[in-house]
Amino acid sequence: MEPPRAILEAHHVTKTFPGVVALRDVSFAVLAGEVHAVIGENGAGKSTLMKVLSGVHPDYEGELILDGRPVRFDGPRQAQQSGIGIVHQELNLVRDLTVAENVFLGREPLTRWRTIDRRTMNAATRELFQRLEIAIAPDRRVGDLRVGEQQMVEIAKALSLNARVLILDEPTSALSDRETATLFSLIRRLKEQGVAIVYISHRMEEVFEVSDRITVLRDGEYVGTLPATQATREELIRMMVGRTLKSFFAEDERTTPGEEVVLSVENLCLTGAGEVRRTLIREVSFQVRAGEILGLAGLLGSGRTEVLEAIFGAHGDRVGGQICIDGRPVVIRSPLDAIECGMALVTEDRKATGLIQQVTVRENLSLPSLRRLVWRGMVDRGAERRLADEFIQRLSIRTPSREQIIVHLSGGNQQKVILGKWLAINPRILLLDEPTRGIDVGAKAEIYHLLRELSLRRIAIVMASSELPELIELCHRILVMREGRPAALFAREEATQEKILAAAAPGAKETADVGC
Amino acid sequence: MSDADATSQTDSPITLRRYLTTMAPRLVREGSLYAAFVILFIVGCLVSEDFLTPDNQKAVLRQISENGIVAVGMTLVIITAGIDLSVGRMLGLASTLAAMLLTGRQWTAATWLALPAAMGVAGFLLALLAKTLLVKNRDDARARPVTIIAFLIGAAAVGAWTIPQVRSGLSIPAVVVVVPLAGLLLGSLSGLIIAKCRLQPFIVTLAMMTSAWGAARLIARSDGGGAYIHQAYEWDVPGLPALRKQVFNLLPVPGIFFLVCLLIGWFILSRLRFGRYIYAIGGNEETGRLSGINVDRVKIAVYAISGMLACLAGVLDCAQYQQGTPEAGAGGELDAIAAVVIGGTSLMGGRGRMIGTLVGVLIFGYLTNILQLCGVHTDVQLFITGAIIVLAVLLQEGFVERWIHRRRDRRAAS
Repeated sequence: MEPPRAILEAHHVTKTFPGVVALRDVSFAVLAGEVHAVIGENGAGKSTLMKVLSGVHPDYEGELILDGRPVRFDGPRQAQQSGIGIVHQELNLVRDLTVAENVFLGREPLTRWRTIDRRTMNAATRELFQRLEIAIAPDRRVGDLRVGEQQMVEIAKALSLNARVLILDEPTSALSDRETATLFSLIRRLKEQGVAIVYISHRMEEVFEVSDRITVLRDGEYVGTLPATQATREELIRMMVGRTLKSFFAEDERTTPGEEVVLSVENLCLTGAGEVRRTLIREVSFQVRAGEILGLAGLLGSGRTEVLEAIFGAHGDRVGGQICIDGRPVVIRSPLDAIECGMALVTEDRKATGLIQQVTVRENLSLPSLRRLVWRGMVDRGAERRLADEFIQRLSIRTPSREQIIVHLSGGNQQKVILGKWLAINPRILLLDEPTRGIDVGAKAEIYHLLRELSLRRIAIVMASSELPELIELCHRILVMREGRPAALFAREEATQEKILAAAAPGAKETADVGC
Repeated sequence: MSDADATSQTDSPITLRRYLTTMAPRLVREGSLYAAFVILFIVGCLVSEDFLTPDNQKAVLRQISENGIVAVGMTLVIITAGIDLSVGRMLGLASTLAAMLLTGRQWTAATWLALPAAMGVAGFLLALLAKTLLVKNRDDARARPVTIIAFLIGAAAVGAWTIPQVRSGLSIPAVVVVVPLAGLLLGSLSGLIIAKCRLQPFIVTLAMMTSAWGAARLIARSDGGGAYIHQAYEWDVPGLPALRKQVFNLLPVPGIFFLVCLLIGWFILSRLRFGRYIYAIGGNEETGRLSGINVDRVKIAVYAISGMLACLAGVLDCAQYQQGTPEAGAGGELDAIAAVVIGGTSLMGGRGRMIGTLVGVLIFGYLTNILQLCGVHTDVQLFITGAIIVLAVLLQEGFVERWIHRRRDRRAAS
């Protein structure tokens, strides 16, 4: 039998950023009609390699070979025209354009009069979405969509370019299980049509479910490629970290929360901004004890994020209800109020609300605690440097120096910086929104251990996540949200993925009153 | 260098090598700015023998200082991803006010506008200072009386100092204090609207620019029956020449004002928490807000500072030309923006440095000076200046480097 033909090959690719070698002499090949998973830890160079393949980084050493011919892309557009499509981990959509306008951005169909042919554009988008089984109206504004829906638009957009090689960088990190299943069936159909798919993910189960071959990168270097049928989970983890990682959680590591209630929320409500004034969440009540980790589960749009934002004062006076800290009612009208009450919020979207991109690791780490680091009105730069170094070491943030501009760090290390900047204010209440989104196995384990350590130090933690195994392993109790209201509350012992999903599904039978 | 090495390196003290590896890209980019300045300077020496004379250098410093002072405020505003278009007309307003306050012998529209404004602002600033120094706790019962008393003291002090001078014409120090304080009020008004009403800085400051111009013309006309320009050759203002004099025959006074403003601006940006917040807001306003920054207050403050500096420049302009006119400083906002952007501050916000603004202002000033020394016609000067702005910004953005790299790559490929 003739071996399948390589459609895209990389030969000895090296890519450096200021102060960092992101890729060192990496070679690998993608065959026509295969799903090729690329895995590796934070900063292993996966995203960088994909950006080289898709023309985002035109300045690299080495060679790319497409269909047996050497190519060098000047930019993403040229790569697209050659049939290489990419969906980046971070969304790249124009928020104020409609879904259809985004899909056809840069190649809008025109009418006879050289105006944009909106009708054709919307019809084509609708057709594309039907084929992909995505239920989003083409004329909706992208900014009004949830993150998961935006991701589906991105994938649809890349597919609409008739890509022969489709690169998916962490495509499922924001998707619900149903959307993920839709995506996988789509990937299989594309594969049958001979499209090669490069699939980057941190979720081991997904990699085994969907891929044919698996390539492992570590610290910017190529480690090896295995057929999915021959690889085992342990072997892959060993290749990724260079050592064997034991299971994240041991029974004796579990913590027991204290008795005293630190945060108590009663009847929390939130109305949407703008003319509609839709109710986003209502009648949310719960209590969190010292050292307790409370999980917030629910589908996209169920109000998990809004609960955290409402408590943190991010929505100002659109919030109703009562928040008590240590039994005393507090008024929180702004994030500043919340911070002064000892709260911290790690937001879901690193790029939009987590980081200041243009500045250094040090400046990002010290931002919320600058009030403390002031000496006679001046920033105490020595204290600031010590703080930065302390947290770089404590959270093992991988950066060439504290003066590195933060965008050059990998996603997992950026996330650690965000955690670090909030831990630096010594919070009593830590609110986390998808703290492990788009993060690899190793960094996840580090963050889990960190949360456990914080729980031991009597910090009250509320954590929203779409990864149920994570919630079940980590949380003492799990509150399930459905359509803006609490639907069920499970203690860890009784929580299972099936029960949580059943409670979270819209239209499910109303669970009797959820007292917490 | 592997990741493991990188981590261990952060623990070691700063070594020269590590310093250089993190600084190198920055040096290359900023180096091109300094190189452009040096080249311009050398060209100046070559084309005219008058260029390097102390008199000419002093003249340049005098000429750039107004634009420079305005550019310092503009740098702060632009780093927050804002823009202040009102500074040029604000300068004209200040020039008019200064002239009328200096020469007036009675209560005029100028005194009615400037003195209460200055009193209010002085009171507010003192109250703010007292609150930050004396009141530690938010719920402190002393907070209210302390701020009220401080406000009254501040307002009364400025009032007691300036009001008795109205009949004889305000003294120079009084004008140097009062007019910028009035400018601070106008600037903070722009900032207030931008922050609280969430409007675009462009349109709010455009409105302020028009209003300031109108106000200046109204005030000027109210006194002279239609004569806008307050000529000053008959002025008998003691101390006015001091504002344009040279200190120890070395630096022109406006130049000293510029350098002091620049130093304060640098100090704010690099040392103060307020400066850090300016960068943070320009980089990502939402992240800043969620990190507990009072975004509105920072925004109001930068526009207030910009307005204050524009009015300080207006007072110096009045002293320089010995006349006050609403038309002074027309288009000054664009010169300031150009200088700031040449200096490497990004209009997208979050990136920029005071030292860059200094070099930007110097490039701008020397360019005009060299063209004048060469006897180039004014119209041609404008044209050349425009071209040089584009060139400087291209250099600043690393465009030339990238272009060279790409050409080399392409040649290597073929």
